[in-house]
Amino acid sequence: MDYTLDIGAVTRNLEPLFQGLAVTLQLTVAANIIGITAGFGLALLVLSRFAVLRVPAMLFVEFFRCTPAIVQIVWFFYCVPMLFNVFLGPVTMGILALGMNLTAFNAEAYRAAIQAVPKEHLDAGIALGLSPTQRVLNIVLPQALRASVPVLLTNGIGTFQQSALVAIVGVQDLMYQGKTLATQTYRPIETFTIIALFYLAVSFPVSQIVGYLERRRGLAVR
Amino acid sequence: MSLDFSILLKFADALALGLWMTLKLTVLCVVLGSTLGFLIGLARASENALIRVPASVFVEFFRGTPVLIQLFWIFFCLPLILGVELSNLASATIALTLYMGAITSETFRASLRAVGREQMDACTALGLPRRVQITNVILPQAVLLAVPTLLSNCISLFKESALVSAVGMADLMFIGQNISNNTARPVEVLTAVAFLYFVIAFPLTRLVTRVEGRMLRKLAA
Repeated sequence: MDYTLDIGAVTRNLEPLFQGLAVTLQLTVAANIIGITAGFGLALLVLSRFAVLRVPAMLFVEFFRCTPAIVQIVWFFYCVPMLFNVFLGPVTMGILALGMNLTAFNAEAYRAAIQAVPKEHLDAGIALGLSPTQRVLNIVLPQALRASVPVLLTNGIGTFQQSALVAIVGVQDLMYQGKTLATQTYRPIETFTIIALFYLAVSFPVSQIVGYLERRRGLAVR
Repeated sequence: MSLDFSILLKFADALALGLWMTLKLTVLCVVLGSTLGFLIGLARASENALIRVPASVFVEFFRGTPVLIQLFWIFFCLPLILGVELSNLASATIALTLYMGAITSETFRASLRAVGREQMDACTALGLPRRVQITNVILPQAVLLAVPTLLSNCISLFKESALVSAVGMADLMFIGQNISNNTARPVEVLTAVAFLYFVIAFPLTRLVTRVEGRMLRKLAA
């Protein structure tokens, strides 16, 4: 290979990469706040007895789960300003697009966790004469929320990784800064490897925590 | 603004061509990636650290970084390292195959683990040779257990394949974006593209749910 590696080209230009990382983290955290709260609400709608609430909620979830994230993001960036005549900053748009995607995935996680609470526990609650509110608050939710934590975390890192897609529509996140730097310095190997390591450095510890939580849960259930 | 979905008719052929490319790429990478994933899954279950550790590093790397970077890396860096030109299709296939291999290996690993320890003990008690234990007892069960997750992985790959548009491969997303830029009608065109992805992925997710239900009943019986 007639290409000599020069890591210096990247390490001399770390400043924009760190700025990009800050934007990426901002997108991730904000989208997760939306996803964790709105996802719970949406899960309740999906489980609702009333079709008026259930059907639109299910459509929302299925739409986001069955189309590529990049299509959603490009759609959001091009079509929302045209359709609704709203013009928001690129980072805000990115947060909303990623947040809605995560809301759909988290709603599925909550739904699965709520439905996984054994029927016997509810029967036991009825036998003990607990009111429906008490059954939900003291039996279903504590178990369901605990069970959903690993999936929520996994989805959270998923969003961290998907946030790289907003670079395509021009949000100046880590991926965008990396792409720019690679073009400016003609150093694609060094730049892309280093930004890949940036992403890995954030998501690897979180995935280890998920693994730990799942192992602990596996032991507790047994 | 007024929407005019009839312009899509003019571009139906182009969109169909893009969809065909997306499907071809998906099927190719599913086949190659599942095979790779199966081998890596076995490597990760190996007792030899020399085999296990590199396989684990590979998987963690591909699961821990955005697919977009993997794609860019293979697209821009691999030709420099190898010193050969790679076609769009070749780069995209390599990138998505490696990604599919990484996620699928996790599926196989989980299903290998899910085959109970008792089964192994039973094999030992029956005095079955190691090869028979693996090919006749463990593998059939593990592959069966892996089917629903494997199908979900295929759907994920179908969706991730839209990323190749970012490196200029003429898949459904790329063609859709091109048409939308040229006609200045993003709402109609991008909605149609999203809809096309949806009508393929949605029935597949239903299928996964059904297969899962059947498997659970079968395993319970």
